Amino acid sequence: MDRLNKRIAYLSAAPILILLLVFFVAPLLVIGIYSIMPQKSFSLLAMPDFSSYSLIFVEGYLKSLFWSLVLAFSSTVILFLLCWPLAYAMAKIFNRFTLIITIAVVVSLFVSENIRLFGWLLTLMKGGLIEGLLRHYTGNGFEGALYNVPIIIFGLVYVYFPFMLFPLMQGIAMIAEDTRQAAFDLGATRWQVLREIELPLAAPGIVVGTLLSFVLAAGALAESKLLGGQTVIVLADDIETAFTYGQNWPLGSALSMLLIMIIATIAVFGISRVDIDTIMGRKRS
Amino acid sequence: MTISRRQFNKGVAFTAGATLAGPIGSAFAARNELNILCWEGYNTDEVLSPFRKLNPGATVRAESGTSDPDMINKLRAGETNVWDLINVNQPWAQGQLYPEGLIKPLNKDRFMPYFDQMLPEFKAPYPLALAGNGDLIGMPQRYGPFSFVVNTDKISRATAEDQGWKLFLDPKMKGRYGILTYDNWNVMHMALTGDQNPFEPMDAAGLETFKKTADAIFGGAKMLTDDLVAMNLALINGEIDAYFTGGTYTASPARLDGASNVRAITPNSGPVGGKGGVVWVELTSLVNNPNPSTIAEDFLEYVQKPEICKAVAFAEGTYNPVSQMANPKVMSLFDSDELDAIQMDSLAEEMERSLDYQIVPSYDELIKIYSEAKRS
Repeated sequence: MDRLNKRIAYLSAAPILILLLVFFVAPLLVIGIYSIMPQKSFSLLAMPDFSSYSLIFVEGYLKSLFWSLVLAFSSTVILFLLCWPLAYAMAKIFNRFTLIITIAVVVSLFVSENIRLFGWLLTLMKGGLIEGLLRHYTGNGFEGALYNVPIIIFGLVYVYFPFMLFPLMQGIAMIAEDTRQAAFDLGATRWQVLREIELPLAAPGIVVGTLLSFVLAAGALAESKLLGGQTVIVLADDIETAFTYGQNWPLGSALSMLLIMIIATIAVFGISRVDIDTIMGRKRS
Repeated sequence: MTISRRQFNKGVAFTAGATLAGPIGSAFAARNELNILCWEGYNTDEVLSPFRKLNPGATVRAESGTSDPDMINKLRAGETNVWDLINVNQPWAQGQLYPEGLIKPLNKDRFMPYFDQMLPEFKAPYPLALAGNGDLIGMPQRYGPFSFVVNTDKISRATAEDQGWKLFLDPKMKGRYGILTYDNWNVMHMALTGDQNPFEPMDAAGLETFKKTADAIFGGAKMLTDDLVAMNLALINGEIDAYFTGGTYTASPARLDGASNVRAITPNSGPVGGKGGVVWVELTSLVNNPNPSTIAEDFLEYVQKPEICKAVAFAEGTYNPVSQMANPKVMSLFDSDELDAIQMDSLAEEMERSLDYQIVPSYDELIKIYSEAKRS
């Protein structure tokens, strides 16, 4: 009976597996093969020479990688610190108000990221909404707030806010109130409850939120382009240049593979630390 | 009604067979359709609707690209069997598309006479529309000088034209300009800033000079963006006083909106035969589609009509002169504000002072140096 069940399970999974193979694995495979082709090759059948990988180290692309990871890391930490109290309140304290906040945050996703960032550009630029109004009413203005690293981080935090908030809320919802009360009854301090009860129990939500925010921010481009004025060049920018103006698909593919491998390693490490099934409401027996 | 398992299986087999046969079948069907891959303008209703009326049974579609290489990548990725016309800047057609067999020659008997109605710069034999063997590889229409842009309230036109590219090496300009990162253009312009000819191969010393120029220009820039609207906003609001790489194409939307202090500048002098500006010209070419459209060449002929020339020149987004403006019927369709937006007052002299956008032989080395300087 078990064997039959297994066979049925494999059969039912077959369509989605085939779909994943065709639409998810195949493009990755093509990128992987392109990445080992000779420079400027547009064919997948040339003799592999791995030259693009050596170029990454010779031509300073590690600097762009560094910036991508630093920006992603900083924005993820800020997002976590910002979202934790709000997610906590949404999961534990607010009742109907949670729905209002949820709708407000989700509605912002209906507008394209570029348009939202352009809104911030018009708000923050010299002569924009803030500086322009200030200068109009006080006679004193200031240099615009754009084109620096902090504003890129601000952009990332703004754009990826929902991707941290909702998983975190889900994670916090899994903390049983009884467990917290028991800890307090046994004399635990607020700090101890946070560190030893709340954070470990909300870990699946924290991991999902952190991974989503980090992965998306590491591949983000619009924030550094629009708000940051490309003060720093991120790896996604180099990938775009290699595929377009550089017309060097192997180099673009190698840079993509580098980012994919780093992010995959971080994701596998993160996921292996927690039981993701719990957040899906399907505790493993 | 009940369906038996056998009937169901038959239905599935038929559907699968029809799906598989679809693409194969269409390969042998006559194609009364037209797919155009173009810069913004050719995809507007003003341009396409009258053509659709002229060809009632045909399906006419156009998609606008965001950069030349993006569009070329589509053909390289195997979409030659999708597109019938491609509209890109020189020198992509001459340097890459034609040698790689992605586009094919036009019928010279049909199209060469149209060059007689164009501005003097485009009179036949117009070298940029021809391949080395004399084949006609595309029809020119929109064009424009493309060097840099200033806010004339801060830097006068005369000063900018006299200083030319050296404006961006002036210590007083540090932190006062942006770079519009149209990378292939920046490469040409940086070479010209360093008194080099980008259209000739560079030796090691030349590459070193280019590196110094690229470092200096990136080092002094306040901002970088590839968005011309963001760049014009920064110029109008005083974040910057000039931007490196720009022309009538980028300045015209701001000028038509009333910001006539945004002005595209062509240097008075430069290192290549005394010229320092560069001009772009779009070519619309016939894609080497294995199953060609029956109406692709008709469309190329259709866009030579005066009212369509005007629609292409003043499509949404950016405004540009067209080579057919030598024809009084075309010229009469533009009002004074529109002519001012495309800087018609100085267009001819700017063209005189500009080099044609050609193949950059050392592009591979230069783009590497450029990209490194951009990252640093």
